[in-house]
Amino acid sequence: MIDLKEVTQAVGDLDENKLMEILNDFISGNPTEEEAIKVVNACQNGMAVVGELFEKEEYFIGDLIFSGELLMEAINILKPLIGSSSSDKVGSIVLGTVHGDIHDIGKNIFKSMSEAAGFEVYDLGIDQPVSAFVEKIKEVNPNIIGLSGVLTLALESMKETIDEIKGAGLRENVKIIIGGNPVTKDACIYVGADAFTTNAAEGVKICQGWVK
Amino acid sequence: MPDTSTLQQERNSIYHDLFNNKIPKRVPVNIGLPFEPIAQYGGGDLLSAQWNPALVEEAADRVCQILFSDSCPFGGSLRYPSFYQTLESQSFVMSSNGFIQHPEVVAMLPEDYDYLIEKPYDCLLERVLPRQYKALNSDEPFNMAINLAKSLLCYQNDNMQAGQIIVKLKEKYGYYSGADRRSGGFTEAPFDFLADQLRGFKEISMDVRRRPEKVAEACEALYPIVFKKGMPASVDNNAAVFLPLHMPTFMREKDFEKLWWPSFKRMIDEYASMGIHCQLFCEDNWTRYLDYLYELPTDTRLMFEYGDPKLIKEKLGKKHIITGLYPVTMLKTNTKEQCLDKATEMLDVLAPGGKYYFGLDKNPLTINDIKFENLCAVTEYIRDNGIYSNAGETAGLAFNKDDYKVDPSASRKFESKYYRTWEDYKTLNPKVSDLGESKLQGFEELIFQYLIFLLL
Repeated sequence: MIDLKEVTQAVGDLDENKLMEILNDFISGNPTEEEAIKVVNACQNGMAVVGELFEKEEYFIGDLIFSGELLMEAINILKPLIGSSSSDKVGSIVLGTVHGDIHDIGKNIFKSMSEAAGFEVYDLGIDQPVSAFVEKIKEVNPNIIGLSGVLTLALESMKETIDEIKGAGLRENVKIIIGGNPVTKDACIYVGADAFTTNAAEGVKICQGWVK
Repeated sequence: MPDTSTLQQERNSIYHDLFNNKIPKRVPVNIGLPFEPIAQYGGGDLLSAQWNPALVEEAADRVCQILFSDSCPFGGSLRYPSFYQTLESQSFVMSSNGFIQHPEVVAMLPEDYDYLIEKPYDCLLERVLPRQYKALNSDEPFNMAINLAKSLLCYQNDNMQAGQIIVKLKEKYGYYSGADRRSGGFTEAPFDFLADQLRGFKEISMDVRRRPEKVAEACEALYPIVFKKGMPASVDNNAAVFLPLHMPTFMREKDFEKLWWPSFKRMIDEYASMGIHCQLFCEDNWTRYLDYLYELPTDTRLMFEYGDPKLIKEKLGKKHIITGLYPVTMLKTNTKEQCLDKATEMLDVLAPGGKYYFGLDKNPLTINDIKFENLCAVTEYIRDNGIYSNAGETAGLAFNKDDYKVDPSASRKFESKYYRTWEDYKTLNPKVSDLGESKLQGFEELIFQYLIFLLL
């Protein structure tokens, strides 16, 4: 029988070899779908451990990237067992890098961590025009909008994006978080967002607070 | 108002004092705006200017009229579209706002490590460059040769156009004349070179855990290439080799210590042993690495983005030359008074004891990134308030190149069938005058410099 704590710990330790060994053993025993879902949850708990270690400055961005990859590998192994049933989502996020900026590493880290925390994430991609955000909000009616950018010029684009969301009458229904290298408290006020972060793990916590 | 040549003498003297461990008359104000905000200044069209850098002269001149800086605020661009587009670059592309950026790219695969380690320069030319630059396609050798030649000519043309503007502005406004251009350089730490355009940010983060031994060996293999790339043609105490430092703050200290630091440290020491200084842009927040930075050769110029100025000054201020740290985003989001308060804080903390020049934590990338009037107010404030009462006194530790010894056998030698030395050439062409050496080897070096620049 698989030890779920061991799974969580292997993810938390970013011990790829151990995790793969455990998971391969697990699937060779023809487990049930219910068991597999428990293992997925254990992996997700491991991601929370990674987030905590990141906040304690024991892990850094490179480790977060690795953890995202590790989770994806684990899910790929377990997916065939889970079939089409999916667990309930805690909320939804429309995410994208604002226009003028083509960076996506931070956005992708935030995406994998918020998915691990149970969010449905609609990732628009990089260098996204204001209209792409507005259209997607109309389409999926998300709880949260995540605007990402690395360059200083992204602040102006974030402001334009939020202004347009307001203009379309969609601002009242959503929370907006901005993330990336140039964001600060002042920048957050300037662009008209609800929260800011330069730390993906913290960003996920903020989002969790909003959908409680 | 002093005349231009008196002003230039004063500026040269405060920079020379700064670089030669003396307290200058006042804190030098060093603002270098990128090409894009200058091109946009006063409503210019960015795209046109990028294709014809001569067009920015008027805008650059107007910036000089209203913005105080001791160094010339216009420095041209590293990244013109002409040569990147000619080569069909994957790593430098234009975003929707006309700004050239570097997307995450992977031009070296895990299976290339062994070849990179065995023959690094051959691997870069045969495998990495063609993936990064689609116009360097060996299936079409003639087009490939034409594209490479055309892009190099574009590179030279655009840099010459911008260079002519810089020379004019320096003369017209009496800016710090700077060291001889040939005594500067631009390169990267071996690990960063491997990370940025070879493996990419994500893949290198995987490699650090999956194949750390290969990463370490690859850094050693790349050492002679990045060292040679940065090597200036002449040595000048006022000049520096510039290295933006990219990956350390994203790494755990134990990985940094094992994989990033050793080859970098040896490289900076080796330059120092030749009397060459380095200017390092410590991207992001280096607080946890300040003790490492202390170990670098005296008078290393450190530009910081984030971190506590007080702690940085305390730990490094007597040994190294500090700049940066002024938050560029404040210039956009805060009032003029708040910006000036920040300037006071910077001066109070960083100026005492010398070895400091004023600079922003990073460059504004477009004209909308700052309120120009705030920037002007801040630089004038530093000019008027960054005055030393003890000018001429010794500032901290003095640099002595004899303090640095690097065992030449510690590093691999640069050799490749794609780089012909003069001896190789003479063997192939015995009937050659040695008068041809400076010309042919000069061009050999120029091609080397350009090819590696394409991967920086």
